[in-house]
Amino acid sequence: MQAIFKRDFGAYFTSAIGYVYISSYILVLNLYFYLVNILGASMSLAGIFSFMLLVMMFVTPILTMRVFSEDFKQKTDQLLLTAPVTSTAIVLGKFFSSLAVFGCLLALTILWPIALYIFGGFNLDEVVGNYIGIISIGAAYISIGVFVSAMTENQVIAAIGSLAIFIALYILEIVALFFYASGVLPTFIMRIFMFISIFGRYSDITRGLLALDTIVFFVSVCAFFLFLTTRVIEKRRKG
Amino acid sequence: MITVSNLTKSYGKNRGVNDISFSVPEGQIVGFLGPNGAGKTTTMNIITGYLSADTGKVEIAGIDMQKTPIEAKRHIGYLPEQPPLYHAMTVNEYLDFVYDLKEIKIDDRKSHISEICGNLGLADVRSRVIGHLSKGYKQRVGFAQALLGDPDVLILDEPTIGLDPRQIVEIRNVIKEMGKQRTIILSTHILPEVSAVCERVLVISNGVIVADDNPENLTSNLKGNRTQIIRVAGSSDEVQTLISNISGVSSVKPLGKMEPESIDFLVENESGVDIRKPLFYELSKAGYPLLMLRPQNDSLEDIFLQLTEEGK
Repeated sequence: MQAIFKRDFGAYFTSAIGYVYISSYILVLNLYFYLVNILGASMSLAGIFSFMLLVMMFVTPILTMRVFSEDFKQKTDQLLLTAPVTSTAIVLGKFFSSLAVFGCLLALTILWPIALYIFGGFNLDEVVGNYIGIISIGAAYISIGVFVSAMTENQVIAAIGSLAIFIALYILEIVALFFYASGVLPTFIMRIFMFISIFGRYSDITRGLLALDTIVFFVSVCAFFLFLTTRVIEKRRKG
Repeated sequence: MITVSNLTKSYGKNRGVNDISFSVPEGQIVGFLGPNGAGKTTTMNIITGYLSADTGKVEIAGIDMQKTPIEAKRHIGYLPEQPPLYHAMTVNEYLDFVYDLKEIKIDDRKSHISEICGNLGLADVRSRVIGHLSKGYKQRVGFAQALLGDPDVLILDEPTIGLDPRQIVEIRNVIKEMGKQRTIILSTHILPEVSAVCERVLVISNGVIVADDNPENLTSNLKGNRTQIIRVAGSSDEVQTLISNISGVSSVKPLGKMEPESIDFLVENESGVDIRKPLFYELSKAGYPLLMLRPQNDSLEDIFLQLTEEGK
């Protein structure tokens, strides 16, 4: 697992993908920080974390599209799958390498609370809660992206596929809310929607409510999709 | 060392491999021979654990690939048809990665990798990016990867493909050298390679093993009649009658004019008879000088065609 983690993490930065992901993401986020927190003189980071979540839908596919697709295309999966490692170790190694790149991005955002601290003061609970929240939701997104990339050897399809899933999840919530408000959707179905809702849950976090069940939910989503990924890899071996 | 029993693998309705069984004792070099699409690569992919079989069993050094794949895979070095290379890495980085991936427990990593690179002529390119290397070098890096960790079993899928003639000879010598301590299965559709390297040949056609023997036996058992090509200075009809009257000759076929004022014949004789001497004396007595006599020694190719045609 460590060998695969090291290789994949390094590969993000020997190709342009790691740089493109981090620079495009941080550019957009810092622009928001400048407009809202500096020009708008806001002391709250809730807004920027919500914005980060929104942008995450569009940039996570850049991060995960190549994870398995490239190995399938270059036939390097033959090396990985005939090496004495389990498919779980392969999936975890690749997942954590993508998560680590996301971690690099988060490390750069530490400047925000520092700036707020220097120029005014900030709410520690809010900052810690938001970071824990964004890491767990980022992991969930990446696991979905990894799963999609294990299903195709075409990176473009992998990227568009995971983007479609993220947008579908987002729209589904809005549509569900709309129907619930207009009285079409029964309450218990809405409850189910609220339970599986990524954004609904995340709004709790940005408000500073770091409920344990929310973290458990995201970690479970992550585990579920990583498990599915190992099944996809095993399925490929059956030809 | 390798035991394959009743292996079957289907792709949709097509049988890729159909009930194949064989075993390879320790230290043997086995050639897997067959036309494209015969099931060579599928069989190798199953042996190495890359694909799983529908039914059947693979054992490497007595370890069941299905039940304990991790343990079984430790014994295998695999060079697939397309070497599994990360093109953005340098040769050194790549071999380091494979070393870690295979969890190799040889203490001296540096000298182990250097030794393999030395044997394969990779010493000069170790710091170069794999994507920039020529096809021959890429193939050798793939080979190096398979050799890391000194596995007991080597599975090589068309190891000499894409190499220039000199490299082919070099790689064959490396394989022969490796084969002294290891068990090797190599697939190929290049026939001279089999006679050059292998102690045993498995001919596979349409997913079935159609022959299993050493190259020499395969040649003599299946080829009852021997054929020679001869060139004689003289006129076609007279020489043909003359040769066909020699006892032991079963057929004579004119092949045409290859050289001025001469004619070539394909002479087939009955098995167990050497007709070369009578042929020489008869022709010389009749005043037709014999310009060339060449036994047809591409017989392995004939056998191959014969066997794989029968399979269809």
